Amino acid sequence: MSVAVLPRLPADRTDKDAFVSYSQLSAFTLRSIEPVGPQYLSHARRALRGRTWSEDER
Amino acid sequence: MNIVNGADSAEGATAVIGISFGNGNSSIAFPAKDGKVEVIANQDGDRSIPSVLAYVGEDEYHGFQGKAQLIRNSPNTIVNFRDFIGKSYAAIDPTYSHRSAHPIEQDGIVGYKIVLSSEEDAQPEFISVAEIAKRHLARLKDSAFDFLGKPITGAVIAVPTDYSSSQRQELTKIAEAAGINVLQIIQEPVTALLAYDVANNGVFSEDRIVLVADFGASRSDGAVIAVRGGMYTVLATAHNYELGGSALDQALIDHFAKEFEKKHGIDPRTESARSFAKLASEAEVTKKTLSASNSATISIESLAGGFDFHSTINRLRYEMLARKVLDNVASFVEELVHKAGLDVLDIDEVVLAGGSSHTPKIVSRIESLFPETTKIEAPATSAKALNPAELVARGAAVQASLVQEFEKSDIVESMQPVVTNAPHLSKPIGVLLGDGTFATMLDTYTAVPIRKAKTFEAPKDGGDIIIEIWEGDSEIVTKGLEKPKENGDGHGGNEEDDFDEEGDFDDDEEDEEREKVVKPVTKIADAGLKGVKAGAKIEVIINITADMKVSVAARELGGQAVRGKIESPDVVK
Ligand SMILES: Nc1ncnc2c1ncn2[C@@H]1O[C@H](COP(=O)(O)OP(=O)(O)OP(=O)(O)O)[C@@H](O)[C@H]1O
Ligand SMILES: [Mg+2]
Repeated sequence: MSVAVLPRLPADRTDKDAFVSYSQLSAFTLRSIEPVGPQYLSHARRALRGRTWSEDER
Repeated sequence: MNIVNGADSAEGATAVIGISFGNGNSSIAFPAKDGKVEVIANQDGDRSIPSVLAYVGEDEYHGFQGKAQLIRNSPNTIVNFRDFIGKSYAAIDPTYSHRSAHPIEQDGIVGYKIVLSSEEDAQPEFISVAEIAKRHLARLKDSAFDFLGKPITGAVIAVPTDYSSSQRQELTKIAEAAGINVLQIIQEPVTALLAYDVANNGVFSEDRIVLVADFGASRSDGAVIAVRGGMYTVLATAHNYELGGSALDQALIDHFAKEFEKKHGIDPRTESARSFAKLASEAEVTKKTLSASNSATISIESLAGGFDFHSTINRLRYEMLARKVLDNVASFVEELVHKAGLDVLDIDEVVLAGGSSHTPKIVSRIESLFPETTKIEAPATSAKALNPAELVARGAAVQASLVQEFEKSDIVESMQPVVTNAPHLSKPIGVLLGDGTFATMLDTYTAVPIRKAKTFEAPKDGGDIIIEIWEGDSEIVTKGLEKPKENGDGHGGNEEDDFDEEGDFDDDEEDEEREKVVKPVTKIADAGLKGVKAGAKIEVIINITADMKVSVAARELGGQAVRGKIESPDVVK
């Protein structure tokens, strides 16, 4: 893959250092994760104990 | 055989194990040193232990010794009972019990009538499937204890994806009755994949789509699994209860029976139960030899009518005899890909599990279905491949080591639907690059909560830049090739393929190449970053919470972040 170089800001953009949201994501699908593997245990801790990602150094 | 002394392998005074319990064979493995797992050999030195119990008088024979009784004592030999557990008589398929003890129903329970005594006028007694399974599991546990030399405190057991919750409950009850503390019951294809992930990567595994195909003795099972952030989501499963190693055995049985009949006028398949069993047993051995060698000899004393049987067969001939089965193997895998709503180009990796995956032609047929970029994990394609028959036991041992320190109630809690059920992305989310291409950050099927950081580059001379977050979609594009490929076999299969009269690969002679590309479709948000340094690195972080709240942060490394929120979708499909 080519180097991931970001594009330049269009000159006509008024708010230069800003975040603009245009549209929402497509609907999520509800699926079942397998309760298997090391990452799942971290997921379960987050889901059950409300742990955040930063508390949860992997 | 790799016999490890239990004392210097797993540390500690007790051990946990992983159990693969197949209709044909079972295996046990344990977590050894350095995060590795080892497969245990039973007292006879076997690592693939036939799930068979046979009774001769007061004596019970297990494993290969039990299987050998199919020749001498088939009505008292019990095979293929794993799938009967937790089922009613009306729901079981006794096909694979025709040449051994027949399942019967007594007081609404499935079992067998077996002579359990050497007394002269001993009558057959009823023995339930649950009791047989209990004795089998107790034997496995004893083997693990003998091998490791320390008490087994817990086990993870893998079951097929079509095992119902009542079957899982019944199996747990049976295992507990056999003195096994069941830590967790998990699904076979995911277990097989876990074995590879841990062997290849230690703890972290790359995002990808994996197709696991398990060709066992009596059945074939498959699953398409999305691996995202090290978590596994099953997208589709498939089962075929007629396809497996027994179907391959049958092709050889029929071939040799005809050869014998031509010479001696007797068909050993119908002559007697004993002659059939002798032929079946040697046909299976011959089949296994043909996985490793180009030819095999078969030799059976007094097969039928007092005549011996000697013959040879080469691999090519065998593959022709087995053509129909091999075709079914290929279509089983193709249908599974379609069932998942995917294209073969979406499958990054294929893991071949089950004893029959030792068959080189099964591997090459499957390999020919996929593009060259798909990694095929099988002994025939990779020297580093794990033994396909041992994958499930290994993965179960890995899981056992992961959960061994937890309280049982914590394990149960972690398997509740509130934890396992999660919203998954239905489209990839990524960043639009300067050249108009889409750089995926979070792929389709990623479960939330998730946090992903990725570093991009600013143009060489720096300045004002924009980070555009898009939702994408993958597309299969076809581009013409300058010159047609010389031979459609993209994987350069072995030489014998060239002899293949009808040619497996003929339908492959295309002069165009299909390719998967991900294109940006919907612009979700953007963030401007002013006056970044020449050659700066830009970090983008996408965070999605369990309740689907999406936030983005973008910053020049070492600088201030521009942050924002994206309106979350209001529906979950
Ligand atoms: N080297 C080999 N080459 C070809 N086939 C083999 C080889 N080794 C084992 N097999 C076949 O693999 C099958 C057993 O596979 P496995 O142990 O995975 O089955 P199982 O999981 O017990 O059965 P099932 O999935 O039907 O419940 C048998 O048909 C056996 O003959
Ligand atoms: Mg199996």
